[in-house]
Amino acid sequence: MRFGMVIDMSRCFGCRACVAACKTENMVQPGNYWNFVLEYEQGKYPNVRKIFTPMNCMHCENPPCMKACPEKAITKNKYGIVLIDYDKCKGRKYCIAACPYGVIHFINKEKTFYPDGQKTPYENLPPDARHPLHRKKPGVAEKCTLCWHRIEKALKEGKKPGSDYDTSPSCIKVCPANARYFGDLDDPNSEVSRLIAEKRAIQLKKEFGTRPQVYYIV
Amino acid sequence: MAITRRELLKGSGVIAALAAFGDLIFNFSEVMAKESMASTPYAPNEDLLIPSTDVMCVNFCGIRVRRVNGVIRAIYGNPESPHNAGHLCPKGISGLFETYNPYRVKKPLKRTNPKKGPGEDPKWVEISYEEAFDEITKRLKKIMGENPSKLIWQHAKGKYLIRDHFPKAFCKAFGTPNVVHRTTVCEAARHVADEITWGYHGILPDLDNCNYLINMGANYFEAEQWSRWLDRKTIENMERGMKLVVVEPRLSNLAAKAQEWIPIRPATDAVFLLAMARELINNGFVDEKFLVTYTNAPILVAEDGKFIRRDGKPLIWDRKSNSARPYEGDVEPALSGSYTVDGRSCRTAFEVFKDSIRDVTPEYAAEVTGVPAETIKRIAREFGEHARIGATVIKDGHVLRYRPVAIHTFRGLVTHEYGVQNWRCAHIVMMLVGAQDAVGGLHLHDVYKDPKYMEPSKCEYPPKRVDLQESVYFPHGTHNVAQQVALTIDDPKSYGLQYEPEIMICYATNRPFSTSEVKKQIEGYRKIYSVVIDTQFTELADMADIVLPDKTYLESWHWSDTRWNLEAKHVAIRQPIVNAFNIKYDAFDILMELAERLGIRDKYIEEINKAWKIKLAPGRKYSSEEVVREIAKANGTDIEYLKKHGLKAKKLHAEDIYLKGIEAKFKGAGKPKMNFYAENLLLTAERIKETVQKYGIKNIRADNLDIVYSPFPRKEHAFPAPHIEAKDYDLYLITYKRMYFEQSNNAVIPVLREIAHDADENFVCINTETAKKKGINDGDYVYVESRVGKIKIRAKLTEGIRPDTVAISYHYGHWSNSIPAYAKKGANPNWVLELHPDRISGMNSFNDTKVKVYKA
Repeated sequence: MRFGMVIDMSRCFGCRACVAACKTENMVQPGNYWNFVLEYEQGKYPNVRKIFTPMNCMHCENPPCMKACPEKAITKNKYGIVLIDYDKCKGRKYCIAACPYGVIHFINKEKTFYPDGQKTPYENLPPDARHPLHRKKPGVAEKCTLCWHRIEKALKEGKKPGSDYDTSPSCIKVCPANARYFGDLDDPNSEVSRLIAEKRAIQLKKEFGTRPQVYYIV
Repeated sequence: MAITRRELLKGSGVIAALAAFGDLIFNFSEVMAKESMASTPYAPNEDLLIPSTDVMCVNFCGIRVRRVNGVIRAIYGNPESPHNAGHLCPKGISGLFETYNPYRVKKPLKRTNPKKGPGEDPKWVEISYEEAFDEITKRLKKIMGENPSKLIWQHAKGKYLIRDHFPKAFCKAFGTPNVVHRTTVCEAARHVADEITWGYHGILPDLDNCNYLINMGANYFEAEQWSRWLDRKTIENMERGMKLVVVEPRLSNLAAKAQEWIPIRPATDAVFLLAMARELINNGFVDEKFLVTYTNAPILVAEDGKFIRRDGKPLIWDRKSNSARPYEGDVEPALSGSYTVDGRSCRTAFEVFKDSIRDVTPEYAAEVTGVPAETIKRIAREFGEHARIGATVIKDGHVLRYRPVAIHTFRGLVTHEYGVQNWRCAHIVMMLVGAQDAVGGLHLHDVYKDPKYMEPSKCEYPPKRVDLQESVYFPHGTHNVAQQVALTIDDPKSYGLQYEPEIMICYATNRPFSTSEVKKQIEGYRKIYSVVIDTQFTELADMADIVLPDKTYLESWHWSDTRWNLEAKHVAIRQPIVNAFNIKYDAFDILMELAERLGIRDKYIEEINKAWKIKLAPGRKYSSEEVVREIAKANGTDIEYLKKHGLKAKKLHAEDIYLKGIEAKFKGAGKPKMNFYAENLLLTAERIKETVQKYGIKNIRADNLDIVYSPFPRKEHAFPAPHIEAKDYDLYLITYKRMYFEQSNNAVIPVLREIAHDADENFVCINTETAKKKGINDGDYVYVESRVGKIKIRAKLTEGIRPDTVAISYHYGHWSNSIPAYAKKGANPNWVLELHPDRISGMNSFNDTKVKVYKA
């Protein structure tokens, strides 16, 4: 099993539900994004279009961030998911420099969602009530885990990752346009594999040799 | 695919093997524990998913709230909901931050600074609930004795929190008619046009079967009702092959995804649609059978615009007997033609319509709308061709009319001085091809549920209600007139009101912020003693004498509103997940408490029973949970099921969707007919004239009643007052809503402000070429100035707007004293919008103002 994602840009209408879902699910540091949407205009009035491109970690087959990390804090697990170990990370930011997609963010200092340092009960959840991936600290890099905590749980419970709402990354089923798909790239019959083949999905910045596992239907 | 035990074992083996290399596989937490991270296993005391219903906006999406250790950890969509099917928008996802907002209203507060308005610190002091209830009760008792109409209750989001049955029941028990909702800042004119035309309101395009959808400025990829159904249905059906044409001055996210964007000049939609109608007729795209069978198009209209009647019954020209007859029995009505009946010359309503649009040529329309004549002709032809006039289709064994074309709108057509007439235009275009209630056409909700809507208004005077609803001022204003309340408070006598409003209770609404000509709103609200019940410090709360906290939708029991669609309808509840600040009362409890203290508790309960058709015994107070249980029982739904699933849905069939509307109510001889021709408006105008003369009313313009209340929409409806009068202002200003906030709510939620690169502050969208001519660069601060005000705001240069138009979103520019500075960024366009409400419905004219823009 090798998990990946397909993003259908012809469907995405830029609502940012995936951004919000990712932020709250993964307790992403304010100002940082594990997932964001690029938006730009194309053309001149009145022949103009808006293009929305959701971006998150590409979970590359050949991840430059992993190679760049002097601490070996970045690894790729057997399901193809690239993860950062916050305890090993020394905050050297090599990964951020090496990533051609700009999807790794640095936690400079602890920031509360509301200003003036007022923590909400959500932010005050103790470590044992947070998945280790959500126990972040200043001075480390953070990025999309493909909601590994959900996949891990699904596998533990004998469920197929991606088979329903809760076994998919938090950005998938929430998408009002059904523009995001998650599944097993090794399975030729999976929805993601079929979409990649049928809709000729592309990978971004292939020329870097990164072999991303996030595909785009354009 | 399920993981086998063997694979699981294999997995753990690999962990052990690879952990040495620091690889992170399978059981990450285990690996982390083994490595440096810790000693702390992931073991929450509680990890629950509690189903409930969202009310961050008016879509009422099904949600599942994840609670970990008593704390809301996340909000997910509920896949069981037939409305949102598990999908959510950023607002719904971020709802937990509304509940955990440290800037919430947490204690009852009393104002100590008597001066009210922007910039005035209310100087709140905390008071006890006892003190608050005492003071409010004392004041309410006084007016209950004098004239209970002096109490005004206003709500907006509040309606959807507890449901307006409760405040309405309370006000009935108290004796005031003044319950005012906010629909005139949303889509009231669309409802009223629906009501005048077919006897009730509510529409949805039948997207699963539609092949050609013209959307006149309904921006449901960003905001609006039904978004979470309309959005995915639109996306899916565009992939199936449905063509989406978006007609609006600004490239919204919906227009950005459409096959075609037609940037029309603001407020000129009536002429665009009438020209389309003319093209359809001239090219033979007319469903004559539909017009004759379901509408009043064949009724004979005399020279004075009224129907020719015999014994009170309107006549048609029967082609069988070659004579004028009532539309009853075995007749064959002529759709077209001029006739003489009882010595009076007359034409069919259809003939009158054709004559009325004779000069609305595509070339004329091009001049007015800025849309090329060729485009108008092509759109009309495509619409006509896609309509497949005469076709039928079989669904669930029923042979049904098949007209896979529709026109949809929300704010686009109706937030205008002639909002009702604009949506009437669209109805007429759809009637021409027979699209109403057809498969693939425009579904009408609860057709003819209230026949009185199709009658002329009584044009009440003097008005009973402070918002002048259904009075001579807004004769068909059946959805309250939100922005009028402040104006009437300011000068009640000038509207003939027989009392002076004295106390206002507002529940989760923000009137001065959300209606145009803010200055006037503030003037009015300064003059009244007011109590605000809310979770947040709105601009209205800022002007209140007493503020009472409310619980959020994640803290209370509610029988929720829901959104029906063409597949299912459902009932839903909200159940409390947490109580973040230990708030004692929600709005429901506050009403119950006040009723008790005023001595009207049992009367209130009686009114609740009537409103919900339930049987609460008098003699004691009730909690919201108890009432929700009673409603569920009366509804025949098991409350335990609702607690477990959040909602219960019922699938709809073809019969429910296509055969209970106009087929059942309007089809054929002897049945009432849809108002293709709105004679009721003409009769309303007559009554207005009489009333104005009788009472010598000065503040109603009587010289253009024939235009305002014309039975057919006219080209004059494309010219709102500011477009004619504000000659020195070169740009049209339109307003819109964004995905990130609902109305004026939740500006304080930080996560919503950082969700997109441009979500933290709003801006005036200005066409790149126009900006260049004015020396304005992207990001510059500019002034936007109209005849009534001026705001300072950042400019955003874009290709996605007409060069003669600028657009500003809502949500931003708060001035409440009790919210942090970061939540006040941006500017509120309502300060510069002129108010010329639609005189039929009271709808606010948010998209009619002209402005100039210059560098600050």
